[in-house]
Amino acid sequence: MASAAARSGLRSLAARAKATAAPAARRRMSSSAHDDAHETAKWEKITYAGIVTCTLLAAYNLSKGHPHFDEPPAYPYLHIRNKEFPWGPDGLFENKHH
Amino acid sequence: MGVKGGLHTTGAKWFMIESQRHSYHLVDPSPWPISGSLGALATTVGGVMYMHSFQGGATLLSLGLIFLLYTMFVWWRDVLRESTLEGHHTKAVQLGPRYGSILFIVSEVMFLFAFFWASSHSSLAPTVEIGGIWPPKGIGVLDPWEIPLLNTPILPSSGAAVTWAHHAILAGKEKRAVYALVATVSLALVSTGFQGMEYYQAPSTISDSIYGSTFFLATGFHGFHVIIGTLFLIVCGIRQYLGHLTKKHHVGFEAAAWYWHFVDVVWLFPFVSIYWWGGI
Repeated sequence: MASAAARSGLRSLAARAKATAAPAARRRMSSSAHDDAHETAKWEKITYAGIVTCTLLAAYNLSKGHPHFDEPPAYPYLHIRNKEFPWGPDGLFENKHH
Repeated sequence: MGVKGGLHTTGAKWFMIESQRHSYHLVDPSPWPISGSLGALATTVGGVMYMHSFQGGATLLSLGLIFLLYTMFVWWRDVLRESTLEGHHTKAVQLGPRYGSILFIVSEVMFLFAFFWASSHSSLAPTVEIGGIWPPKGIGVLDPWEIPLLNTPILPSSGAAVTWAHHAILAGKEKRAVYALVATVSLALVSTGFQGMEYYQAPSTISDSIYGSTFFLATGFHGFHVIIGTLFLIVCGIRQYLGHLTKKHHVGFEAAAWYWHFVDVVWLFPFVSIYWWGGI
């Protein structure tokens, strides 16, 4: 993703430079817009492919049940409580230690 | 040079703009720096009071945060007005926000690097107090091939969508750009939802030894950055809908896209080093 972004950034910079440098600015502008239109369509297809992939993977993952964990032994380094949280005994995502 | 006349343009200001002989933007005095400072002061003092159970700490902390958020909103609103509506952001002026965005992202890289350092420090040589193994004995870990694996294609797909938006803006396809940004934000919200769901299902907590601390700090801050990036992209989507972003000038969107690509790439590091390598 980062390299693709850098590449598209460099390409847009190069296109802009050509547009300003070339005497036939209108033609370059047109070809630049055409290239951007092609890139737009390409990335739209990539986005749709990504969304389909994520949907299938999500459906597969969520069709399985979530795992269950046994209560661990009371080791001293687990559930450290030097003092309570200001809002109560549990952390932000805990509802387990009552 | 901006628009001549207008409801709030005075003759003096019009004359000043017309007589300008340089490319830079000499900003007007602004109340927002002192406003932000007072908000930060209230947030800090309120936070300390809250953590130490002083009366009124929660209220002061909340008010400080509200004041900070308000300052951010109005400050960026002013920058938007100066650039989009008043036309002050020439090519030379645009370099400032560009450099600022890049430097901010670089500082975020260093910030997140510290978490991976801490996590690696503890996991590469686990101490005898936690059983001499990693993950520590008794820690239940999340299966990396479930929700974390699911998040791994979601964020890059969102990165692809923001790239689609970028090219749509460059090609002058205004509506496609809005659709692309909606897709980007939707994928981001799905990713955040899955992360939140996983946090509620997690068998360990932030106070379960060094594992819990480093796990929730690294994944929590990544999640926070996803939320910030999502808000940034929502603002860009609104501005695209309003016609603020043009083919030639869309620095705010470029900053959001850079940030979003950074957030996408960063996800791969906690997935590999914390969920996968550190969890099995």
